[in-house]
Amino acid sequence: MNALAREWRLLQRDRGALFWAAVALVASVFAVCMGAIESQRQLSEIEALKVADEHDRNATLARQSDWGSAGYYAFHLTYAEPAAASFLTQGKRDSYPWKHRIRILAMEGQIYEADVSSPTISAMGRFDMAFVASVLLPLLVIVLLYDLRSGEADSGRLELLEASAGGSGFWRTRVLLRAALLTLAVVVPVLAGAWWVGADSRSTIAAAALIVAHAAFWSVLALVIGAWRVATPVLLASLLGLWLLFAIVIPQLGTIAIDRSIPVPALSQIALEQREAVNDAWDLPKPVTMDAFVARYPEWKAHAAIDGTFEWKWYYAFQQVGDQTVEPLSSAYREGLIKRERYLDRFSWFSPPMLVSRQLMRLSQTDLRSMLAYDEDVRAFHKRLREFHYSKLFLDEPFSLEAAQALPPFPGKPGG
Amino acid sequence: MNAMLQIATEEWRLWKRSRLALASGIIFLSLLSFTALVTADQILSERHTRQATQAAAEETFRAQPDRHPHRMVHYGHYVFRTPPPMAALDPGLLPVTGSQVFLEGHRQNSPMINAADADTGLGGLPPWTPALCYQLFAPLLLIVLGYGAVVRERETRTLATLLSQGVTGTELILGKFVALVGVSGLLLVPALLIGAGAAGESGNFAALTALLLSYFCYLAFWCAIIVFASAVFERRSAALNTMLAAWLVSTLAIPSLGVGLGSALFTAPGKIQLDLAMQAEILAAGDGHNVNDPAFVQLRAELLEQYGVDDVAQLPVNIRGVVSERSEAAQTEILNRYASRRLAQEQANAQAILRFGWLSPAVALSFASRTLAGTDLLTHHRFQEAAEELRFDFVQGLNRLHIEALDYKTDIERNRGVEASRRARVSAENWALLDDFDFESVPFAERLSAAGLPLIMLAAWLVLGLGLLARAGSRLTV
Repeated sequence: MNALAREWRLLQRDRGALFWAAVALVASVFAVCMGAIESQRQLSEIEALKVADEHDRNATLARQSDWGSAGYYAFHLTYAEPAAASFLTQGKRDSYPWKHRIRILAMEGQIYEADVSSPTISAMGRFDMAFVASVLLPLLVIVLLYDLRSGEADSGRLELLEASAGGSGFWRTRVLLRAALLTLAVVVPVLAGAWWVGADSRSTIAAAALIVAHAAFWSVLALVIGAWRVATPVLLASLLGLWLLFAIVIPQLGTIAIDRSIPVPALSQIALEQREAVNDAWDLPKPVTMDAFVARYPEWKAHAAIDGTFEWKWYYAFQQVGDQTVEPLSSAYREGLIKRERYLDRFSWFSPPMLVSRQLMRLSQTDLRSMLAYDEDVRAFHKRLREFHYSKLFLDEPFSLEAAQALPPFPGKPGG
Repeated sequence: MNAMLQIATEEWRLWKRSRLALASGIIFLSLLSFTALVTADQILSERHTRQATQAAAEETFRAQPDRHPHRMVHYGHYVFRTPPPMAALDPGLLPVTGSQVFLEGHRQNSPMINAADADTGLGGLPPWTPALCYQLFAPLLLIVLGYGAVVRERETRTLATLLSQGVTGTELILGKFVALVGVSGLLLVPALLIGAGAAGESGNFAALTALLLSYFCYLAFWCAIIVFASAVFERRSAALNTMLAAWLVSTLAIPSLGVGLGSALFTAPGKIQLDLAMQAEILAAGDGHNVNDPAFVQLRAELLEQYGVDDVAQLPVNIRGVVSERSEAAQTEILNRYASRRLAQEQANAQAILRFGWLSPAVALSFASRTLAGTDLLTHHRFQEAAEELRFDFVQGLNRLHIEALDYKTDIERNRGVEASRRARVSAENWALLDDFDFESVPFAERLSAAGLPLIMLAAWLVLGLGLLARAGSRLTV
């Protein structure tokens, strides 16, 4: 206990350690604030879009006189609200769409559009908790701890210190105290931020535990390597080398290997095939399209006869059939991404920074799975919209604004 | 001069014997070659497939059978972005921006993003590229090699000996600096090789030279402040820790901080927001599918008067085509106005982040590098503009056909059975009106001038570094 108290007093006078702890604190506070601000901004953007969208749809519907044109001209906003915990990291929300405006034309022609507002931000990467915890924290641990022991050895005090402290255990205490200080500097703002935005306690505790465990991993590494009896710069270079290995080489190698071994159909292929299917339908005999449609929706079999002229139900039927044609490709695309994700999950145990960053994205509900869950939401909503219109079109119901009030609303829920 | 070179040579000799220098050099080079191979492979295969897909898309369009021209307006066309060769060094915005656009009438679609592409190399962490290796890790390597350059001599008391032998402080400092700059030059050899390999295809060596010079400027700045720190500190550990702090703050903290503040202060509106905002104007411009839209009343009257007839059926031109053409032009004017506003806001956002280049040379370099490599926002915008130009061109070409090659009466009767619909078509030969999409990159001169500000920033940083160095040299004390 005495030793601990002495080390604590020493730490209070160690300007280097206090400086790095302050850097960690500032970084963490900044990351948490920026994260919370961005989530808030997205929430208010969604609110504004909801209002504008409803206004626009009502105005559009008011000009329509049949269900066919109503379906053609009216757009519907869909969105994935940021989860409360998304202050931790925006993750994939920066490069994947979290808002779409869709209509009941073929889904595959609409779902891949991405409304990414600032590519420069996506490319340079945000200063968020995932960055602080997975990239910055290990570096801070390294620069704080690499020369604790060898620094004393260089100045010739090590033997004296070990003799007076009764062994070499004292610098373990020293490492522990410094690592704890640094970890606290990162974790406390996270806890405060989580409380502030009202994140659930499970994600908050998990995030804090991840950060502590990551700091512990690097502290142990620094402790082990710091015990080598080699020159101080060699220690630093070795630790930085390990950082490069864990934070860059392993994740990149793993991702490439996984991407190569799990091929995913190209988006261009899906888009092109979908377009061909939809456009060829114009020249196909109408029963061909209607048969394929009825195979999916047998309930409209009795109403599926089309005479020679243009009919909206035929038009939407070939949009539907266009989607059906590329269904295998499109689901292979999503399944491939999910499969890669599963392998990446397992693989990330080889790289603590990768693990931390991926788990933080998962807790924030900004990981690929959450983005695909939103994708599913959009598809499900699109399906409901379509089916709503089918019932109107196939039963030849007259259009009215009152009936249009029953259009299914998008069931927005946080985190996709 | 001689003394300076001697000191530089001595420093090199020392590094040659140092296992630390060797090990860090090997780590850096293997990291660099690894990311370079991965990136180059990705970019080259992307270039290859994109060019093939583009050609296939054009062929498909032109191979369509006889059709109603407006059908082709909605059939539309795909254009694909070709990554510039220099993207092998710095892919920049490519992984996060859409790479293909569907072009059709009445709409400007945004580029679609390929999630599978966006994911390669990330795995939850930022994508590592050769550019990032130089921006982040080359300074780190220089720090590990150079932090002791002067302070080591001071700690081992050889500094006094050197100075008393008639070597001036400036000579000593410059010698150390030249030695470290030599290392920087060596570090850039792989970049030269990757770049030359990539540029070979297009012969764009001016861009490569400018790119390498900007990286050299950046690394030379680091060399200058490393030697400066080494000259002013009393102890090696103090010099090392200070440089590590400087590295962390300027290469990691400030760029991300700039992004954070830039995004909080200058948010560009999204496409959905603008689509909704322009809706009223689009409506006023009229629906080109509907000849009876009130927006075209005047047009109809003008046409009837111009040709001196009483009924649209008697016009020598197909009024449905005229309306399509007119409304496409009016809508496009609105779409372009909003699009250019969006692009300008994205650009303002990027410029706000660029301002942090005055606080960190890494920010300045990342902008210079993307711009010179042709993977920046400017190129991304030009790609969209070129796509829009092509879109407008072929849509209006098709509308022209609608006006001139398709008789009004046949046109309005097109839904009266299979035979009528067959008559309301124009020959497939006309689809040759689609131009090739040959946008590849912004001309070098323009990229160079767009990179002006970041390059000035880099130059300013270098001047600052050299100034500090000169000062340290003239005041060097034991």
